[in-house]
Amino acid sequence: MSERNLTFSTGCKDGFPIFVGYFPTAMAFGLVVKNLGLRLWEAVLFSVTNFAGSGQFLAASLIGSGALLAELFISVLLINLRYTFMGAEVARRLEDGITGVKRALIAHGTTDEVFAISLMNPDRLPASYMAGLELTSYAGWVGGTALGFLVGLVLPLALQLAVGVTIYAMFSSLLAQEFRQKGVRVLLIAAISAGTHSALTLLFGVKIGWSFVISMLLASFIGSLIIREDL
Amino acid sequence: MKTFVLPILVSALATFIPRVIPYWVSFLDKLPPLLSRMLRLLPIAALGPLIFPGVFLDYTPHLWAGFAGISASFILAYFKGGMILPILSSIVVTYFALMLGA
Repeated sequence: MSERNLTFSTGCKDGFPIFVGYFPTAMAFGLVVKNLGLRLWEAVLFSVTNFAGSGQFLAASLIGSGALLAELFISVLLINLRYTFMGAEVARRLEDGITGVKRALIAHGTTDEVFAISLMNPDRLPASYMAGLELTSYAGWVGGTALGFLVGLVLPLALQLAVGVTIYAMFSSLLAQEFRQKGVRVLLIAAISAGTHSALTLLFGVKIGWSFVISMLLASFIGSLIIREDL
Repeated sequence: MKTFVLPILVSALATFIPRVIPYWVSFLDKLPPLLSRMLRLLPIAALGPLIFPGVFLDYTPHLWAGFAGISASFILAYFKGGMILPILSSIVVTYFALMLGA
């Protein structure tokens, strides 16, 4: 992307591939929370207020397992800490003079994909461009959630069960992409956290929220010791 | 009927806080390198427990159905990239695995 005029509509155009990617994943989310017993407006509220892929799926599975609110808060916070780093990059690149509510709204829309796409632009980022990019992505996420919920009302049970694999497929696709980009150490770190989490929950009866936090911290700590350079 | 509004909003708060912090303060350059590396590895470390053991337990007694599905998506994502095709393939594979009673 070379010299371009970064307007609201350029933002919408850049956001369209994100829209296409989010829609089916959000549909799966709508389906998952419908099966947890949420109502349609609650599913939509979830995506409107959270707007975070893996964080929402994690929150949904913790809610389903009856986790405490403190477990929920800390686990979701940890998985979303990456946004702090992404936000730091985007904030540095914003045009001057974007303050207050506008800044907070741009922050709310900073997802992994929005981060990646916006930083491909060599120029400073105007608020109007960010609004187009983020609103398009947001529409895909919220719209997909609602449609997934509604589809879930008519889908046969066997197919619903199969569609439930979507959440895991999303994570395994992410893992495969990280593995391709960063090598086998990615798999090692994921294996440590997966093994720890399985052992703690299945063998030692640790509650799922805390076990998630412990295994995540342990694996990234070990990872930071064995990997010297930045991944 | 049970309401889910409170946990939804708690989760929203746990998402918004890490997102909004860097738009107001910049402290990230001052963290010790070990801590900084550790924080950057958290998303990768999260993927393990997000998949296991749930992908087996959700499909009890057909323990391997879900795993067959995510193997398909892993392989497709590795060689082809993207998310849509890998995710669709996992649904198809899991559906047939369930039909076959894997």
